[in-house]
Amino acid sequence: MRAAALLAALGLCAPLAGCASVKPWERETLALEEMAFEPDPLEAAQRAHVYWSKEASLPGGGTGGGGCGCN
Amino acid sequence: MQLKRSPQSVLQALASGALALPGLAHGDTPETRWTGDYGYSLYSEDKVPASKLAAGSRRRYAIDTHQFRLEGPLSGRLGMGLDFAYESMSGATPWYVEEDADGKPIQVMSGATIEEERVDTQLRGSYYFDNARAGAGAGFSLENDYTAVNGALEGETHFFEKNSTLGAGFGFSYDMLEPTDAQDFDRPQSETKQSLSAFAAWSQVLGRSSTLQTSLAYQHQRGYLSDPYKLVSAGVDGNVRDDRPEQRNQATWLTRYRKHFSATGSTLHLDYRFYVDDWEINSHTLELAIHQAIWEAFRIVPSLRYYSQSAADFYGPFFDAAPAGPASSDYRLSPFGAFSWRIKGETRLRGWPFGMDWSASVAYERYISSGDLALGKVSVASPGLVSFDLVSVGLGGRF
Repeated sequence: MRAAALLAALGLCAPLAGCASVKPWERETLALEEMAFEPDPLEAAQRAHVYWSKEASLPGGGTGGGGCGCN
Repeated sequence: MQLKRSPQSVLQALASGALALPGLAHGDTPETRWTGDYGYSLYSEDKVPASKLAAGSRRRYAIDTHQFRLEGPLSGRLGMGLDFAYESMSGATPWYVEEDADGKPIQVMSGATIEEERVDTQLRGSYYFDNARAGAGAGFSLENDYTAVNGALEGETHFFEKNSTLGAGFGFSYDMLEPTDAQDFDRPQSETKQSLSAFAAWSQVLGRSSTLQTSLAYQHQRGYLSDPYKLVSAGVDGNVRDDRPEQRNQATWLTRYRKHFSATGSTLHLDYRFYVDDWEINSHTLELAIHQAIWEAFRIVPSLRYYSQSAADFYGPFFDAAPAGPASSDYRLSPFGAFSWRIKGETRLRGWPFGMDWSASVAYERYISSGDLALGKVSVASPGLVSFDLVSVGLGGRF
């Protein structure tokens, strides 16, 4: 069921509509800091920066990073 | 020096805040308080194993990084942010690869220890509409042999009672390179590189305790994309310059899932990234993290990361003669896999001391890379593949 929800979100939610209708007063859990896609932007930027400088891949859109490509 | 740089620096800085928690926590208004963060990290690469070293120093790079971030409201609808980073680097770097008596590749490192510094500054601003936000940013990065300027525009809007968020952005970068000791080592004296990048991201609330974000990012680069500090061993023709194509098109698909379990006080982070470019490199990255509350003010965050990439079509550890086209022996363009594990401890204090909210963290990460860790079979792994330790501390305050 959860897998189906994930697949629906990946393939169908975007073009059609929201998968869930969670009201503002039901978002206490969603508002937790650890539920953020990047709870610590400074740390995320540094880690993406390190991986990016040692691997060939581009960081994903909307993720921290960029900068050093030190030898 | 920096050999790779991206206009995504500022684009990502903008987007990371914008898409961090779309439409969920703060609505379409900027933060009402200012936030200041400081981060320090010590990055230290393992020594080159004696069995893989042909010549040069075994001691590889160590990097000290200081990061500062300040962001907050300028008015009811206007917010700004400033990022500053200072790095100091020292150590030897892979120079070229030779063939030993058994036909195996062995690494030649730079002989002298390199000492370098880098400063990076990014400034960004956002304007908040009733159901959307627009942002712009610009920045620069300076080293003794490298200067880069970049800029970006991005925005986001919400749908379905803010259960869905669409974000998109564009960025550019213009890089100027003036290699040191150019005449002594037959390096180019002055080169430039231009980059354009774009991303689009869709974030979706799946339920009261789960969200998902999927995004596409694209980057086009042209100009001097080679590494002036590396050589290629070309057999009967001796050593020749690292020579890469003058264009590169890269694309990344990243999907991130978040799920909170209230019964255990834990939050699952699951990220998958697929990457492909026209240098024939593709990669897969999978990362798993658990944010586990121990007490109300303390959390631990263990995480695992796996990465695997294929090789660039012009990569080779060494060649029999000077190649007619592009050629590079850079280990970063070789086929390999990498595994890392990490542990982080974090504490938060509300309203004390000085009436401010505080956060502090410390983290340790171990990263290893090897041909054996790749998804496909790697017949000859680069001897320059790196393993490292990364220790980080962070301190933040909201006032």
